[in-house]
Amino acid sequence: MTDTNSTAPAIAVEDLWQVFGENAAPALRDARGAGDDKAIAKELKDKTLIPAVRAANFEVKSGELFVIMGLSGSGKSTLIRCISRLIEPTAGSVRIDGEDILQASDKRLIELRRHKLGMVFQHFGLFPHMTVADNVAFPLKMQGAGKAERRARALEVLELVGLKGREDTYPRNLSGGQRQRVGIARSLAVNPDIWFLDEPFSALDPLIRRQLQDEFLNIQATLKKSIVFITHDIQEALKLADRIAIMRDGEIVQIGTPEEIVLHPVDDYVAEFSKDVPKGRHACVESILMDGIPDNMPDDPGIRVGMTLDTALTKCMELYEPVPVRDADGKLVGAVNPHELANALQAEEI
Amino acid sequence: MSAAETVSTGAERKLALTRGSQAALFVLAIALVCRLLGAQFEWLVKWPAALTVPMTDWMTWLVGGFLDVFKPIARTFTFLVSYPMEGVGWLLNALPWPMTVAIVTALGWIIGGLRMAALGFVGLMFVVFSGYWTEGMNTLALVAVSVPLALLLGTAIGIAAFEFPRVKGAVNALLDVMQTVPTFAYLTPLLVLFGFGPVVGLIASAIYAAPPMARNVLLGLERVDTEIREAAVMSGGTRRQQLFLVELPAATQQIMIGVNQCLMAALSMVIIAAVIGGFQDIGWEVLLTMRKALFGQAFLAGSVVVVFAIIIDRMSAALAEPRPQQDRKVAVGMLGVGVLVTLWSMFAGWSPSGFAALDGVAAWVDTGVGTFTGNHGATLDTFKNTSMFYGLLPLRIGLAEAVLPFTWGFLWTAKHTAMLYGVAAVISLVLVLKARVTAGLVVMILAYVAEIGIAHLAWPVVVFGAGAIGWVAGGWKLARLAVILLGLILISGLWERALLSLYLSGAAVFACAIVGGALGLWSAMSSTAWAFIRPICDLLQTIPLFVFLIPVLMFFQIGEFSAFLAICMYAVVPMIRYTRHGLTSTPDDILEAATASGAGKWQTMFEVRAPFAAPTILLGLNQTILYAFAMLVIAALIGTTGLGQSIYLALGQADVGLGITAGAAMAILALVADRLVQGFAEERRQALGL
Repeated sequence: MTDTNSTAPAIAVEDLWQVFGENAAPALRDARGAGDDKAIAKELKDKTLIPAVRAANFEVKSGELFVIMGLSGSGKSTLIRCISRLIEPTAGSVRIDGEDILQASDKRLIELRRHKLGMVFQHFGLFPHMTVADNVAFPLKMQGAGKAERRARALEVLELVGLKGREDTYPRNLSGGQRQRVGIARSLAVNPDIWFLDEPFSALDPLIRRQLQDEFLNIQATLKKSIVFITHDIQEALKLADRIAIMRDGEIVQIGTPEEIVLHPVDDYVAEFSKDVPKGRHACVESILMDGIPDNMPDDPGIRVGMTLDTALTKCMELYEPVPVRDADGKLVGAVNPHELANALQAEEI
Repeated sequence: MSAAETVSTGAERKLALTRGSQAALFVLAIALVCRLLGAQFEWLVKWPAALTVPMTDWMTWLVGGFLDVFKPIARTFTFLVSYPMEGVGWLLNALPWPMTVAIVTALGWIIGGLRMAALGFVGLMFVVFSGYWTEGMNTLALVAVSVPLALLLGTAIGIAAFEFPRVKGAVNALLDVMQTVPTFAYLTPLLVLFGFGPVVGLIASAIYAAPPMARNVLLGLERVDTEIREAAVMSGGTRRQQLFLVELPAATQQIMIGVNQCLMAALSMVIIAAVIGGFQDIGWEVLLTMRKALFGQAFLAGSVVVVFAIIIDRMSAALAEPRPQQDRKVAVGMLGVGVLVTLWSMFAGWSPSGFAALDGVAAWVDTGVGTFTGNHGATLDTFKNTSMFYGLLPLRIGLAEAVLPFTWGFLWTAKHTAMLYGVAAVISLVLVLKARVTAGLVVMILAYVAEIGIAHLAWPVVVFGAGAIGWVAGGWKLARLAVILLGLILISGLWERALLSLYLSGAAVFACAIVGGALGLWSAMSSTAWAFIRPICDLLQTIPLFVFLIPVLMFFQIGEFSAFLAICMYAVVPMIRYTRHGLTSTPDDILEAATASGAGKWQTMFEVRAPFAAPTILLGLNQTILYAFAMLVIAALIGTTGLGQSIYLALGQADVGLGITAGAAMAILALVADRLVQGFAEERRQALGL
């Protein structure tokens, strides 16, 4: 319980259930006898209850960026609200740094939220009646910090998210991207260890989204928070995640690194997601190494462990001479360099 | 589905009765039995007196005892509240009028810039010149004390309903009742509790004005974005911090709408409360001049009320909207001008109470109206008599009694009854053959109503008719509710009066539905028409109920027809607004689809817009019904029969039992009508998938 050494997971979720409907808890207890999780869920549904999260099990390591990916209605938003205890889970346990927060008293919960947890919302959740600085400083105000201290810290975080100079405007005067920067700044104001992000970039234009994703990665590189990040966008998940959990109908169907998800989907559902993903960009060479080493190999093209498939392919192609290109009648019209071909396939490094 | 199957289900549909036609058949059967056997068995038509329960007496005993217990507390409260009231009254009267005008103008400037400042200035100057300054300030003093009370009470109730889901249901039911119980009915028990005098008006207005505030606070809190709420939680706020630092401020806009409604309700009630003994306030002036038939003065005093209402309404409504910051220096300048004028008027010895600069206008209105009625008296009388003899009277006592040689030129005989039913039967048969069974049956029922009249309807037809409508609109639960509630009125001995009220409000609602619906349609089709109708609607909705009586009295004297017109004037507004709103708020993509299908303007209107607008229009009708009931009681002042009159009489005699039972009966009528129409609206909404 109180094992809080550095190797302990930042968040440990065990057999977490969230069932909506009347008398959900006793119904779930009764249904436990039905057998495996699918059978339990079916029995609950028969009673017109909604099992929104089913037997969720996972751990988030300290400093890890853990992404939960799923389509709308898959229960991912419910799951993050269970972990942050914005809603009361029906059964199971959620340990944050070893402490079971489902057992925490209201007072302890407020304490945790004031110091340890931060959250970013899909539609920003900014307080419309407060300035940007007041929004960001609100968690500090809850802590009881003094006015000057609040202001100073708010400005500091606002600078971190690139909103210097906008501190006295109101949220209504900001663009969507700017608003989410405020949301991010607010969630970071108390310097929390655990960072929840609920589809933070989904409401933004693609360009702004990409920009914020990059900045988010930069911030995380310096701050090293333990993060639970929700998204419905597989590209975003693959780009950001250390590990990804894929949800369907309230169930976590696979947990793995982006590479595992892309190369070894556990079922058709997951495979469907990664179908359009350029595998070469996310998978590395070691994932497709042969068994054993052949005797005769040509010149060394310089392929290294950790290289993506795309890069490795380009390297190989560099070994070849230019080849001829002909028109429909077989007449020679020019030549092309194989490594140029490989380069053209490779998307820009992000 | 194959063609054969389609045909067979089509045939089945013809045979199987819909819910509506089953209900209509049921009612028709009851009507038939009552009509045919009513002569032999009188209890079928009239509820036997032996079976009535002296509910009025019980209520007197019950509430009387209750009131006696609380009287000392209430009187202490009266005593306590009289201080701030007198204080504010003194302050407003002691404040030199140029200062008051300057303050209101400056306030208008800060709230809404030049427009509001001009409104405040012109409005208050009108009050100054009207000679009703003192009376006006006394009324404002009442509002100024009752509104904070109402705001506090309303906010507390709203928060409690939001915080404790268990309280919410009870609070919503209570608020429903408070809004349907007619204003006068409030006054009787309060009169007994708090004694005569202005304080009763104050407390009545605080109680009357609290529900809209409570509703809007609750609504505002419920509408706060979930993520904003969650953000406050995740910031580590305690529940109290979340509520007061985040949720309430985030709900400001909705709450300000509540403040606006609260102010208007308070003003309206303060003016109505003059009926129980004014004290030199503006409501009392209106009443007094009206009673003395000094219409010019009544018109002037009524205008002062309207001016107050408009200023208070527009300024508080502007508070609910985001607005640019105004230059404070201008406001200070206005106050400075106020000080200068004050000093000057002190030297010059001006006093607003001496002003009666507009008495000329009053006299002019008097002579004008006099000349007009003198010249067009015949026309007005014809209009009034035609409407009475050929419209209202037959509706009330039926063609069988209303058709007399004196008015219609012939006497109604059994032959005419047979003709009426014969014609109805033919129409009905045609409709049934066209597979419109429900419409056919309803025609027969209407024929019965036309012959007998609403006031003489057999009780089973009304009670079970309402039940049947309830069953169609919302199933057994609603049907049971309607039957039980109406049954209560039936056994209370107030049934005949209730039918009279039903008749008058029914007639008014019917007229409003037709006129309002047409005006709404016109406003929806033409923006020019709306530009013309809209300010009139705004004005009619701002005017306190009481004032509607003045113009109808001027032209049609005391009587049922005047009451009918006053009710129509007040109740027509929601019908116009909702009809227009419903017809114009069709989603664009649906309209584009209609246009792309080649629909013309009128085709789009009737094939696409109208069905889509049906739930909204029904809600408008619902509002119209509630408005009509509210006005019905006020109209008792100028001569109506029925429950309104009972409530008004009870007030005069401080008869708590009668006041409360009649008020409750009125509220029941309104509540049943409300639920029935809401039921249909809900059914339509679901059918449209909204």
